[in-house]
Amino acid sequence: MDNYEYILETEHVSKNFGNLVVLKDINLKVKKGEVICIIGPSGAGKSTYLRSLNQLEKITSGKIFIKGDLFLHREKDHTVERIDKQTQQKLLLEMGMCFQRFNLFPHKTVLENICLAPVEVKHEDKETVKQEAMELLQKVGLADKANEYPNRLSGGQQQRVAIARALAMKPEIMLFDEPTSALDPELVGDVLQVMKDLALEGMTMLVVTHEMGFAKEVADRVLFMADGIIAEEGTLDRIFNHPENPRTQSFLKSVLNV
Amino acid sequence: MKSFFKNLFDVKNWKKKTKITWIVVLCVLAVCCVLSAIKPSEADMKLQASEQMQKLIQADENSTRKHVTVTYNSLIIVNYCSFSTSGASEINEKYVGFAGQVFHADEGVGKFVGQMVNYTYRMLGCGENILHGAKLTLLLTTLTTLIGVILGTLLALGKISRNKLLSKPCSAYIFFFRGTPLLIQLFVIYYSLPAIFGFAWRDLFDAADNQAVYKGAFIAALIAYGLNSGAYCAEIVRAAIQSIDKGQHEAAKALGLSYGKTMRLVIIPQSVRRMVPPICNEFIMMLKDASLVFAISLMDITTISKNIMTSEISYIVFLPALIIYLIITAFFTWIFNAVEKKFSLYE
Amino acid sequence: MKKFKRILALIGVMTLIAALFAGCGKENSDNSNSGAASSEKTYDLTGVKLLNDGVLCVGEEVGYPPFEDFAEDGTTPIGFDVDIINEIARRLGLKVNIINTSFDGIFAGIGNNYDVVCSACTITDKRKQSMLFSTPYISNYQAVILKAGDTRTISSFNDLDGMTIALQKETTSDELISDYKSTGTIDIEIVANEKVLSCFTQLDNGEVDAVVVDSTVADGYLAKNPDKYIYAYKDEAEAESFGIAIGKENEALKKVIDEVLADMEADGFIKETLEYWFGAE
Repeated sequence: MDNYEYILETEHVSKNFGNLVVLKDINLKVKKGEVICIIGPSGAGKSTYLRSLNQLEKITSGKIFIKGDLFLHREKDHTVERIDKQTQQKLLLEMGMCFQRFNLFPHKTVLENICLAPVEVKHEDKETVKQEAMELLQKVGLADKANEYPNRLSGGQQQRVAIARALAMKPEIMLFDEPTSALDPELVGDVLQVMKDLALEGMTMLVVTHEMGFAKEVADRVLFMADGIIAEEGTLDRIFNHPENPRTQSFLKSVLNV
Repeated sequence: MKSFFKNLFDVKNWKKKTKITWIVVLCVLAVCCVLSAIKPSEADMKLQASEQMQKLIQADENSTRKHVTVTYNSLIIVNYCSFSTSGASEINEKYVGFAGQVFHADEGVGKFVGQMVNYTYRMLGCGENILHGAKLTLLLTTLTTLIGVILGTLLALGKISRNKLLSKPCSAYIFFFRGTPLLIQLFVIYYSLPAIFGFAWRDLFDAADNQAVYKGAFIAALIAYGLNSGAYCAEIVRAAIQSIDKGQHEAAKALGLSYGKTMRLVIIPQSVRRMVPPICNEFIMMLKDASLVFAISLMDITTISKNIMTSEISYIVFLPALIIYLIITAFFTWIFNAVEKKFSLYE
Repeated sequence: MKKFKRILALIGVMTLIAALFAGCGKENSDNSNSGAASSEKTYDLTGVKLLNDGVLCVGEEVGYPPFEDFAEDGTTPIGFDVDIINEIARRLGLKVNIINTSFDGIFAGIGNNYDVVCSACTITDKRKQSMLFSTPYISNYQAVILKAGDTRTISSFNDLDGMTIALQKETTSDELISDYKSTGTIDIEIVANEKVLSCFTQLDNGEVDAVVVDSTVADGYLAKNPDKYIYAYKDEAEAESFGIAIGKENEALKKVIDEVLADMEADGFIKETLEYWFGAE
């Protein structure tokens, strides 16, 4: 059934804000189960790239394939090939997203946050969804907080709920946009642990992060982005120990020495 | 709601403050009940008329043109009765009934109490149909606010929509109704539209109904106030919706929620809490603006008090008016606060 | 320097605006009807107290046609009262300054804001206690107006039983019909309006069955719209008279105004003006 080579593929993805080039001709092929960490200085376009994968940002031109199917094809700010809404929605739901600021729905309890999309979008049975949500909460270690409102939780707990919320849609790819940047240092560990567990389970993950330790531990591949392009890419060992690009060298130096 | 009643009847665990409040309320109610039970009856009051007045009333019985006006107002614990004739030889007799006694109300404290009872009675619109006095003010403001909130939400969603065919007309509507005075909108809807299209508001109701004219005017007022309030509420709702963090939209979109569901399930419930205080304000403004209905022959609290002032040249008439307004405002502020609290549970 | 210029410009603009407003405030004091006065008699003004020498200040609620209303230009008061007061002043050798005031509390301004009030004021015993009135210059009755085509016959106010009528708030009509209602003589729905015009619009639109109004006002409306309304009833029994209200301490002014009015009646000026504003009877 999975007759595709790459679970996620982008071809010539570019994005401009007027004259400002944010992303320039980015090509990436991701195999199922790969964990990719995207690192780089701020303003390099890491978040924009991640967000454009699930259409939170509109790309100027390029193609995106999910599981071998065309998800998006735009040229010069116009959609070239129209893909029917149902297919697009189906492909969109293959990606789950976690945000830097969690973006939980504050007026809903933890459980309601997790159940909302499966019930409203996938029209699944409420009781089943609830059960699955409890299992997910168990997994992220927050089963006892099911009926709390998000604002009563710590940042780390909120992010774990956000991960559970994304997982509830049963995506095949998880996108993490700086998931630990807004957290107090002592809360980072729990979130990273959950992500590591996910990686071990074989989830395909794209993670924009500044946590070099995490990258070292779980990443199959590291992308170094600068000025809207992938400046260097390779296995973590090569990038961390033998960087070729001088920008990578200086970036790693500054990050690892601090 | 359930827990509210549960706490209410759980007398043992009442807080001290609640206890005292309830004791006071019950005592006042009991006193009121006793006083209203022993106040002189209507018949008693009407027997008070002087001999001269009795004769005039007798004369009126068989006359086609009657001359004596008998006013009887009953207000919970006090009642007021007056006999007056108009014309060249004006005679006036006023009585106040309280706690089983009847007092003359032609001067001094009696006069003051009598006036208060009479004015309050008239301003509340007692003894009149529902489209009169405080009842009219309340009905109009409440219905207007309801219509305004519903219409305003639709307009706000229309205005922030990316579809220009939807957003432009909504913006134009809001601009028009906020940019023109309510009084003129009221005039147009009540006087101009029927004249142009050849209908009467009164015809909406049964021709035999002698209250039809007021009902018709009320419908016209409701339309004018509703349309106007919709425009103001639209801006309140829009501001509240747009104040919600962009991340909420993004999270909903990433989860695959459609625009409609995002609004209905995520954005609007969060913005309600931010809408309530300005809508409460809008409600209180409406309460005061309700006096504009004088322009189409309806009488609200302000209009009645103004009329009393001109016809009786009495300036204390505003005292009951102020008190009635304050009670209404206090009551609704309380309700709005409760709503706000309910929607900010998660904070 | 630039700032100074700006301030100068600002002052200039403000002066201009002030001048404009001043222009608006100026009264047209010499639009008096040349009238039919035959003899140029002079009147004795000794003892007459006026707020401004040589000017008769008149309080009026302009907006009660045909007694007083603004002409098409929106600033010139015209109407029966205006013609009468202008002629009185002309004969007395005074200029007229008409001050537009709301009818609510109009009498409180006598002696402070204006010398007299000439604004379709009914002479009543109550009012006589606090002010003087000239001799009546026009008589008025309460009238019932129906829409053209209405076949109801009204031969007394008792025939209004069961109808919905419109009238102007705080007028004699209001007092009278409210009394009919409150004494229980008839069962009637009274729609009270601020303006007479609202009453007639409601009659046009079919909101009310009839309008009860001063006969003089009704005359004016019917003269303008003969096909729209029917004069259903006029209460000849209870006449009321309009007079000019004068401050209580100003006996001399009352005396001289009465004198002029008598002369105007005698030489036909009043009759002519009546016909002009209310149509020939």
